[in-house]
Amino acid sequence: MRETIAVAILQLICVFGSAQDIGSYLGDESFMYAETKQVNQFFRRFNSEEDLNGKRLYKGDPNYRSKTFRANYIKMLFDRENKDITEKLKNDFIKDVADGPSPAFLDYYGGRWFAEVDAKFIYNGEPRTVVLFLELEKENLGIKWVINSVYFYPFTKMFFADSTALTKFLHPMSHELDFMNLIKVFNDPNTVEYYFDEDFKPDFKTLFLYEVKQGNLKFETIEKVSFHFFQLNNWYFQLKEFNRQGNNSGWLISSISKIPEDQKGMLLKYIHYEK
Amino acid sequence: MKSLNKILILVFIVAISAGEYSCKSQKKIAAEEAAAATARKIAKAKADLEMLLGDNTGLSLDEKESRLKVIKDMNIEDAEVQDLITKVEDKLSREREAQMAKERAEKLAREREEQLKKEGGPKGLNDYFNMIANSSNLATSNRYINEALGQFASEDTPVLIIISKSGNTVDYDRPTTIRRYLEYLKDQKVNRNKIENVVYDANGKITELELIKK
Amino acid sequence: MNKSNIFLSLLLIFGVAISALAQPEISPERKQAIDSLALEKVKDLGKYISIIGNKDTPFSEANRVIDRALELFADDSQMGVSSLNRTEIEYYGVREYFQRLMALNYDRVKIDWFNIQYISDLVRQPDGRYVGVITVYQRFTGETDDGMKYVDTTKKDITVYVERKQTQIQGRVIGFWDVLLGDIRVTETKPG
Repeated sequence: MRETIAVAILQLICVFGSAQDIGSYLGDESFMYAETKQVNQFFRRFNSEEDLNGKRLYKGDPNYRSKTFRANYIKMLFDRENKDITEKLKNDFIKDVADGPSPAFLDYYGGRWFAEVDAKFIYNGEPRTVVLFLELEKENLGIKWVINSVYFYPFTKMFFADSTALTKFLHPMSHELDFMNLIKVFNDPNTVEYYFDEDFKPDFKTLFLYEVKQGNLKFETIEKVSFHFFQLNNWYFQLKEFNRQGNNSGWLISSISKIPEDQKGMLLKYIHYEK
Repeated sequence: MKSLNKILILVFIVAISAGEYSCKSQKKIAAEEAAAATARKIAKAKADLEMLLGDNTGLSLDEKESRLKVIKDMNIEDAEVQDLITKVEDKLSREREAQMAKERAEKLAREREEQLKKEGGPKGLNDYFNMIANSSNLATSNRYINEALGQFASEDTPVLIIISKSGNTVDYDRPTTIRRYLEYLKDQKVNRNKIENVVYDANGKITELELIKK
Repeated sequence: MNKSNIFLSLLLIFGVAISALAQPEISPERKQAIDSLALEKVKDLGKYISIIGNKDTPFSEANRVIDRALELFADDSQMGVSSLNRTEIEYYGVREYFQRLMALNYDRVKIDWFNIQYISDLVRQPDGRYVGVITVYQRFTGETDDGMKYVDTTKKDITVYVERKQTQIQGRVIGFWDVLLGDIRVTETKPG
């Protein structure tokens, strides 16, 4: 009895001691525990590399990458408000990545996952959204995010938007006239691309850089961020941050689909706004 | 008889002359011996003095000083020896000073420690840390800071904070200075570290402070 | 350049390369100490903010504290702030942020901490430094004597740079962890 009291007093001292240390603590933070606070935490929870209090688990800990833990964890990592993510889909996914004979883990350094960032730019005086795709790239012994693709709607309107395209060519005897008919090509800037070779594809990255360097595109702010995961075989999912009350918040799987590996290329193109 | 007298006189004369002769040579020998002894004394004194100048005698400072006294008492009139004596005197007085300073510093540190042990003794460094961290009044904390700074050789005295120790590896936080550290305590209102090691100079002022996370 | 010079410079180059290679593996115990140190810097920042925001703090004192707070940061660090009704990020330089805070002139500023924080992995950058993110939740309360009260709860994702450095203190070589805060993303959240 005496010991119990002593322990209780000690605990009280500890609580007050630490509270005094770093300002007063507030109660009711359960939702903050539940929230997947960082993408880093999404990885750790998905792999069962941390305990319920967010404490890192290291190799050798019985719960490290534990099968049962993972099944429970992954279930919590879906956006519960998205009715398209059915129970069956979730269970299929969990069975595939956590329950099967060869469980699959997410690897930060493993590639095949990337970020999609909506950024607000001022383009010739008007606010416009530029979509930047970023991926991790190794350099030296470290790693960094690099922009590997750009989508900007005004650029798409610049190319191949004319319906009378069939008549746009330099006739095969132009050479006999010193190509004097080139004047007609450049008379209409909207259709010049039709006179280019079959393989020509406008390069948005270069165009984007050119406009930035010319001072026509000025960065304003970040509007939206999400992540696309292609790392798990035969699955694709998207990760978004949900800033809301309750226990289903933070970085969660906002959409998911089972997709054969050989069809992922098409999905990638679609995500990158490529035709 | 007469002849005996004569002989005696002769012997006497011979003796005297011989005596005169032998007296002369004995003086010379004595002088030479004295000179040799002086030379030996000088050589020995020089060797001893040079040994005292060097630092591997293994003798205590007291012993070194008494050796020097013996040599000085011999009153050797030799420029080189006198020169060496001055040098050794200098060296030993420096050593004496340093030893006294060390003793003073140790005494101070002992006194401080005793003061720290005494309840409510406000002069201990750790007390200052707590007082500064717990003070809610700006003027008071600034006064404590100035008082505490008095224990240090300078405001820029380095303060090292150990964040972890594992085996031989000691990890520190970015080094700071005592003024900054005291102001840190004033601002943060929390004393997170305890004193691990203190280095004093000859005047009993702190020249380095090592702290460790509680 | 003669042979011994070449040898010496090779030795130097490899010496540096080896120390760079030797850095990545940090034991869990040491990592924990670094994590706590980084977290401590974050808490220190919180205290500085409440001093700067407090009207009772004399001007000179507030400026001294701003300087101290800025020393916690790497150069060019920014605050990126968004609120519940404005989700786009608004940018402030750290000094600018502190100066605005000082100008707010609340009679009382309280920074309360929720008893939770999340510390990411430390990831190595191309330049050899490590970078991590510490997430904390704070409630900011600003009150004026005439009863005006402003309260918000924010999630703060704080960049932390960690670099192993060496310095000489009175002839002794001291190895230390230089922990600097970087950009801070501030998101207003709905608590509870």
